[in-house]
Amino acid sequence: MNTLWSDAFKTLSKNKPALLSLFFIIFIILVALFANLLAPYGYEIQNPSQRLMFPNRTFWMGTDILGRDLLSRVIYGSRMSISVGLIVAICSLIVGTLYGSLSGYVGGKIDNLLMRIVDILYTFPSLLLIILIRVIFGQGLFGIFLALTIVGWVDVSRIVRGQVLQLKEMAFIEAARAVGVKNRFIIFKHILPNILGPIIVTLTFEIPAAILSESFLSFIGLGLQPPFSSWGSLANDGFQAFKSFPHLIIFPGFSIFLTVLAFNLLGDGLRDALDPKLKNA
Amino acid sequence: MIPFILKRIFISIPVIFVLATITFCIMRITPGGPFDKDKAIPPEIKANIEAKYHLDRPLWSQYFYYMKGLIQGDLGPSYKYLGRSVTDIIKDSLPVSVELGLYAAFLAFLLGIPLGIIAAYKHGTWLDSSSMFIAISGITLPSFLVAALLIYFFSFKMGWFPAGLWEGGWEYKILPVAALGLRPVAIIARLMRTSMLDVIKADYVRTARAKGLSEFPVILKHVLKNSLIPVITISGPLLAGIITGSFVIEHVFAIPGMAKHFILAVTNRDYPLIMGVTLIYAVLLILANILVDVLYAVIDPRIKVS
Amino acid sequence: MKLKKIFTLLLSVLCLFSLTFCSKKAKLSNDTLYFNLETEPPTLDPSKAADTTSSLVIENTMDGLTDYDFSTPDLKIIPKVAKSWKITHSGSVYTFYLRDDVYWTDGKKVTAPDFEYSWKRIIDPKTASEYAYFLFDVKNAQAFNEGKIKNIADVGIKALDDFTFQVTLTKPVAYFLHISTFPDLSPLRKDIIEKYGDAWTEPEHIITNGPFKLTHWKHDYQLILERNDNYYGAKAKLKKIICFMIVEASTALSLYQTKKLDIIRQVPPLDIPHLKNTPEYRSGNYLSTYYIGLNTKKEALSNAYVRRAFSAAINRTEITDMLQKGDIPTSTLIPQGMLGHNPSIGIPFNPTQAKEWMKKAGYGEGKKTFPPITLLFNTSETHKTIAESLQSQWKRNLGIEVRLDNQEWKVYTNSLQSSHKEPLKTSFDIFRLGWNADYPDPDNFMSLFTSYSDNNHTQWGSKTFDKIVEKAKLMGNNPQKRVELYNQAQKMLLEEEAVIIPLYIYAHQSMWRNEVKGAKLNPLDRWSLDEFWLER
Repeated sequence: MNTLWSDAFKTLSKNKPALLSLFFIIFIILVALFANLLAPYGYEIQNPSQRLMFPNRTFWMGTDILGRDLLSRVIYGSRMSISVGLIVAICSLIVGTLYGSLSGYVGGKIDNLLMRIVDILYTFPSLLLIILIRVIFGQGLFGIFLALTIVGWVDVSRIVRGQVLQLKEMAFIEAARAVGVKNRFIIFKHILPNILGPIIVTLTFEIPAAILSESFLSFIGLGLQPPFSSWGSLANDGFQAFKSFPHLIIFPGFSIFLTVLAFNLLGDGLRDALDPKLKNA
Repeated sequence: MIPFILKRIFISIPVIFVLATITFCIMRITPGGPFDKDKAIPPEIKANIEAKYHLDRPLWSQYFYYMKGLIQGDLGPSYKYLGRSVTDIIKDSLPVSVELGLYAAFLAFLLGIPLGIIAAYKHGTWLDSSSMFIAISGITLPSFLVAALLIYFFSFKMGWFPAGLWEGGWEYKILPVAALGLRPVAIIARLMRTSMLDVIKADYVRTARAKGLSEFPVILKHVLKNSLIPVITISGPLLAGIITGSFVIEHVFAIPGMAKHFILAVTNRDYPLIMGVTLIYAVLLILANILVDVLYAVIDPRIKVS
Repeated sequence: MKLKKIFTLLLSVLCLFSLTFCSKKAKLSNDTLYFNLETEPPTLDPSKAADTTSSLVIENTMDGLTDYDFSTPDLKIIPKVAKSWKITHSGSVYTFYLRDDVYWTDGKKVTAPDFEYSWKRIIDPKTASEYAYFLFDVKNAQAFNEGKIKNIADVGIKALDDFTFQVTLTKPVAYFLHISTFPDLSPLRKDIIEKYGDAWTEPEHIITNGPFKLTHWKHDYQLILERNDNYYGAKAKLKKIICFMIVEASTALSLYQTKKLDIIRQVPPLDIPHLKNTPEYRSGNYLSTYYIGLNTKKEALSNAYVRRAFSAAINRTEITDMLQKGDIPTSTLIPQGMLGHNPSIGIPFNPTQAKEWMKKAGYGEGKKTFPPITLLFNTSETHKTIAESLQSQWKRNLGIEVRLDNQEWKVYTNSLQSSHKEPLKTSFDIFRLGWNADYPDPDNFMSLFTSYSDNNHTQWGSKTFDKIVEKAKLMGNNPQKRVELYNQAQKMLLEEEAVIIPLYIYAHQSMWRNEVKGAKLNPLDRWSLDEFWLER
């Protein structure tokens, strides 16, 4: 086990794009953590006399329609975007992994039933659910987390189930079952550690997916609302005037671009590194 | 083959039924109704409207009324577009979404498969990284941003393509298809790369290489065919997703497709239309998955249709 | 070698591109206008239309009894299908004398029974028309609509002969002639509607009598209006109008800038600062007021001094300057351009006075602390911007922290409606709304805040206020007295009680090319496309 991980780390450290991405992600997380120290101005301080300014020496990214400093808003926006990404991805992962491994491991009729439920959720108009959740839990962060998790875990459960199905057929699991080892033990001791690799890879893809989903919600007017603002909602604010004031869309958009790219490159790197079949390639 | 298809369709019926029921319930729990407006409608007039659409009956009775219609193939009238039936709306808009979706899917295969092949074939080289970089950049931006960028450069700055509309000409299709296709390009390219890497290391490929077959025929003959299977698996749901998930693209480019009804029906609380588009999506998805299974059997005779 | 080939191929494809585009240009003629309708009209059935898009198309395809003369500042009512009318001395019986030379597009004559059918159809409960209430001043119309009387013959709508149409009212309301201009009350063809049912509004069946006829309707995308050559009045100057339904304002603007559209009726708010100095940018005010309302049942806002302080603490100019749309800051409800508008009414911006009022209400240093309150708005960029500005102004001028909350549109309207039933249980204390004049008469605004109005979400009600408004409604023949009554009512609503705080009178923004002639914005946002022509 240990050699797998250290091998993986070696492979990863040779993968320059992935390594660079990892550093960038750490950087962004630091920015998010220390937003209050880094931001030159408060994110909601309005300067009525300095509205819609293009990037200049005082306001490096310009200002928005209320005269708020865009740089500060982008820095604070990283908090929202990163936490939406992380929390939603982790929650989806937990729910999806438990559900998927249960379904794959138990198999048979229960698997069939659980997968039909996934089918139904997959086709369900998630927008309705999101509106409903936002009504019940308010417009705050929790509503967004819950809404995106409900939409997000379904994919994870499918991936995990597929992995578990493959593993189940393997000799050591079959042996353990034959000897009468408890199911719970098998799932937690044998199956989950063995699919940890794919799970981590999935995590790195779910995070950017959640960031993008949040920006889609912003576009249709169901995203984060004041006083919160994420990169997605900032970009959406700028969308209306991308011809007149491109800076309003470019900076938050570029932040999304870099972050999502970094997570994806890291994910690809991890996948290559954790895939034992690729060792000798 | 035909019994298999029939069986698959048969198993899907309860799924659709349960989906319809859940959607119906959630839709009716959600606050706000089709006739809630900022200009208040006097209660008596609202009562007339509700009576017209049977919304004055108890909920269970409305549910059975709808289900009865559904079984007879009647999706009911739209509450927003007065005088039009949901079937009419879907009939008008679905073909447009399908057309747009097929172009985008075509683009995705056309670009995604070669990108994946190059990346896998030149695994670990700069060609690998740059192909993947190109592919990934397709999924790094929210689609409204992609659309905005495309319009800004190719329409506003260069004046090459119109910024919207869906007239007959191909020039109207380039930008929306590109905006819609970028995401599947990335998905397919990555999948293709991974599955090809898997296949390249498979024993029979090594054997073929050992036998001294030159590189390219090996790729073409043995690797490509086998590594296409995962791509085909995903293409069904992917296509269904492209067709119905293009709300942003249809909205930004003013294309009269069905995807926008997924959002607008919900924001208008147009109950029958919500049900209609949800069910159509479910049916599309089920059909796409059946088609994938059939394709499987065609490509790889070893897989038995069971 | 290979690379070179590919490169050549790419280059030739590019050349082909540019060639096709060059050849496709310069096809625009003076006959055809490209117009953005913005959304799919929910219906073209006049009896059922309850939105501006539907009305816009219906106005251009159907002619009713009367119309407005938009060249007059007070929007004079002029004859259309009715060549003249007579109002009895009491003001309750209206007799319209119709022209005998008005034809339907299939050649039949438009007659008084066509009007009778249409007017009765809109109040028929089976039609389930949202706007049935516009005829509730007609004798027995409301009772018939509510099912209280069954015999339609008892309703005060009657065709006396083929060209005489008579309407009897319960009360001589001052604004009834405005109602007669409504596109919803255009004449209708009973035979066509009965023959085709709901499908009668499709281009292959529809029969109209207006300056244009509907010849093509691709739902959710485009509809085409063509000149009605048998029109009785001055024929339309344009042969054809192609209306697109482009919802996204920035797309419409891009298409306008690339000459695919001649008129757009909306400009993305953030683009306004850039475009407003160009000659093609047009802006005008219309009869529509943006206001915020206070839930007077909530403890925090039950004190009139607090409400007044909230009003006095808002610098409305700061908001309109920020929005840059040309909206006119206002402290009064009845908008500019309407009888009864009086800019001196309302509470002007005065932070010192505001603080004093808060003290009087018992809040401030060493006194009670103000309870937390919430401003609710429906999700939209503009409302968000306004709410954020209000939040910072109240904080600056009153030291009060107001929480912002927003809801999706339908949830929002539902919240407002349900606040009537349980005013104390609502999650919000302050809300926003706008009111768009249905017709240019002050009653349309003032009756909103009567104690029995479904549109009054402030939970405030006053018998005195109700009485003044009801009295003024019947003073059609004494405008001076009427204005006095409205001044009194507005003072009560806005200064003494301060249950609503008007912010600004809306401005609408449009753009049209200089080649488009005859177009002019009007305060009701109507588009008489038959008066437009092109000189390109």
